[in-house]
Amino acid sequence: MVVSSALSLYSRSPSSVSITLYIVMFVVYALAQGHFVTTPYGLSVLLNNSIALAVGATSLTFVVLTGGFDLSLAGTVALTNTILSVAGFKGVGGALEALVVVCLVGAIVGTVNGLLVAYYKLQSIAVTLGTMIMTSGIALFMLNAPGGTVPDSIAYGLTGLLGPVPVAIIILVPFTAAATVLLNYTRFGIGVFAIGQDRAAARASGVNVEWTEFRAYLTAGIVAGLSGYLVSAETGTGDPRFDASFLLLAFAAVAIGGTSFRGGRGTVIGSVVGAGLLELIQKTLFAVGVSSFFTGMFEGALMILAVLVGSLGSMMAARRSAAS
Amino acid sequence: MDEVLHIGDLAKAFGATQALKNISFDIARGEARALLGENGAGKSTCVKILNGLVRPDSGTIRLSGREYRPSGLSDAQKAGVSTAFQELSLLPDLSVAINLAMPDLPTNDFNIVRFEEVRRRATATLAGYHIFDIDPASLISSLTLSDKQRLEIIRALSRNPTLLILDEPTAALTDVGWLYERIRALKAEGRAILFITHRLREARDLCESATVLRNGEVAGTVNLADTSDNELFRLMIGRSMGTAFAERPDKTGPAVKDEKEKIVLSVDGLRSGAFGPATFSIRRGEVVGVAALEGQGQRVLFNALAGIARITAGEVRINGKSVKLGSPAVAKKHGISFVPEERKEEGLFFGLLTRANVSISNIGRVSRFGLIGRKVEIDGISPVSEAVDLPSRYHDLPVDALSGGNQQKALIARVLFAGAKCLLMFDPTRGVDVGTKQAIYSVIREAASEGKSILLYSTELRELTALCDRCVVIYDNRIVGECPAESLKEEELLETMHDAHAGGAREELRGGREQRVKSL
Repeated sequence: MVVSSALSLYSRSPSSVSITLYIVMFVVYALAQGHFVTTPYGLSVLLNNSIALAVGATSLTFVVLTGGFDLSLAGTVALTNTILSVAGFKGVGGALEALVVVCLVGAIVGTVNGLLVAYYKLQSIAVTLGTMIMTSGIALFMLNAPGGTVPDSIAYGLTGLLGPVPVAIIILVPFTAAATVLLNYTRFGIGVFAIGQDRAAARASGVNVEWTEFRAYLTAGIVAGLSGYLVSAETGTGDPRFDASFLLLAFAAVAIGGTSFRGGRGTVIGSVVGAGLLELIQKTLFAVGVSSFFTGMFEGALMILAVLVGSLGSMMAARRSAAS
Repeated sequence: MDEVLHIGDLAKAFGATQALKNISFDIARGEARALLGENGAGKSTCVKILNGLVRPDSGTIRLSGREYRPSGLSDAQKAGVSTAFQELSLLPDLSVAINLAMPDLPTNDFNIVRFEEVRRRATATLAGYHIFDIDPASLISSLTLSDKQRLEIIRALSRNPTLLILDEPTAALTDVGWLYERIRALKAEGRAILFITHRLREARDLCESATVLRNGEVAGTVNLADTSDNELFRLMIGRSMGTAFAERPDKTGPAVKDEKEKIVLSVDGLRSGAFGPATFSIRRGEVVGVAALEGQGQRVLFNALAGIARITAGEVRINGKSVKLGSPAVAKKHGISFVPEERKEEGLFFGLLTRANVSISNIGRVSRFGLIGRKVEIDGISPVSEAVDLPSRYHDLPVDALSGGNQQKALIARVLFAGAKCLLMFDPTRGVDVGTKQAIYSVIREAASEGKSILLYSTELRELTALCDRCVVIYDNRIVGECPAESLKEEELLETMHDAHAGGAREELRGGREQRVKSL
């Protein structure tokens, strides 16, 4: 009974699986690590390592909800990271200029993806794989080996503490809230869910399917640029190569967060917590003394578990409604 | 200006198939018009054209006297044409309220959707149509099919259309009376309604007139009060009156002569979904026909026997042995092969060669050491290709390059190649040319003379009377009669359908009254 009602909660609210797991894992981590974890500095370390992934996973969420895939995230991150490390932005003003630049770069990539997928009806995986390779090609042209320096105003400004509060929280909370509002409380966001659930029905309901899908890719591109900005703050240096493991972990975070790769169901908060969970697992395993070689096994198993729990819940819901 | 809709000389072809031609009819203000016709007659193409989902090749449409050429659904809605679709167009994981408000959700100054307003409007809309048992906050996916259908209709109504199209709205509706009231109110307001249905009684209750389509053309537009059911059936059925049938060599086949001849397939009390219970059997070398109007449950029967639909009760015996048909693979193992009606969706593998499409049902026979050799494959399938009259030059072409008729031959060749002893053929001559029809007829006769048992459904009664040893008649998910070989005539089948229809109408009337009493 308890199990079945828990499962039905998980099917109704897909992000609750990852939130539950996060709390459990955090307790384990805190017990293993001692009270350092709960200090502002400890929290800040934990968040700094996962915030770029969280924003990257949010970028993917917009496209995954439409029923598509966006691989260009990895390329956009590589390109914006490279630009930040070679362009020589200086000071706080430079950090703001850089923010505008990464958003523009992301918007350009998103526009290309959106035009080709929404209006020319090309397959999203093929298109975004192409733009991913192309953008990291441009990055390699600008910086032919890892190197360069990200401005201090970004590298230190975004990773420290502001008083007792980690800057990462100051970024992440409003970001998650804004993305959630955009998806769940605007016509555009509801249109995104609509086309992911049933494209023909969305059209019959009067949704401008192409325009909505285009804007989903555009938004994903801009958010991917932000993710590149945060990656740069975290690493402090430039790397023109696209990071495939970052891309795959971002997809894993989306799945753990309960967003369906079939489209139409999911949340931003789930993806953000999913990203945090992946980072937390690494840290917890390290803290309890498990070799880091096992990290991948745990992360993979966790992802399958999260997907399984989510689908068990909806299977039981289906059986209940069939029975009644 | 009294017509709301004028359609003149509308034509549409998909590739080589002429889906519609010379379609002309008008609908006046305050008129409800039934659009009748068998599956494939062109009704859905008409609906799609009126919604801007398909562009006609030629012809004119005028809406309230103005040229009407919708570029898409929302364009059609803006022009005043609104449709309740049979395959519902509601969004499953969004709430009832959002679905009713789509796409122009009310927002505040910051473009944030005002959900309390969405909900308030939904409650008002539902109340306006006398619906109080649906919670505007519930997700569409949690509703029953009947409630979804009501919402689909409400959404179409709430757009205040000048022309309302109802595409088989009663298929899942439990309370038809509710719809009747809505439609009467619309008629009183002077709006026009196009009502697509298979149920004549509903057409009579709601509509003054009917346009019957057959084979892509208007078979007739009639005043329903002056037209008998039999006349309507006649207009609907019999899409190729011109097709000649060679008389069967022996009207009473060998199977019928010898009553003790072995029964291959017997079905006892079978139920599946809404269908059943059904009891019948097929002997060795016998062709049993299924006569039914569109949508009476015959599809479920075929799917159940093919292992696609779940059998919920009853027993299927093959050669006297009880079998469980859990999947198409199991059905095939027991020697049952299915020729489905949708060649594209359920049958052929587009993109594979024709020979691969034929041999796939028995792929072990054309492979050696696990590899498929072209020569082995072609040698293997040649006899069945010849049997269905599929020229060998097509073997190496992708199956999608073939005409519809040759695709159908390839599909039948595959079933023969599987070596099945029992063939289920669901409308095998639908949408194929006359030559292919003749080839299919001779395949059916040959297969029967070789001792195969065949269950054949056709929308064309003439095919059934010419090919079958006997026929069962299905109406409203039940077998309502059987015509033995001696009396197997079109009139006889029509009569049985008509009697069932009349009886069913009385029963439904009683049921409807009880329901009304209950709801009071």
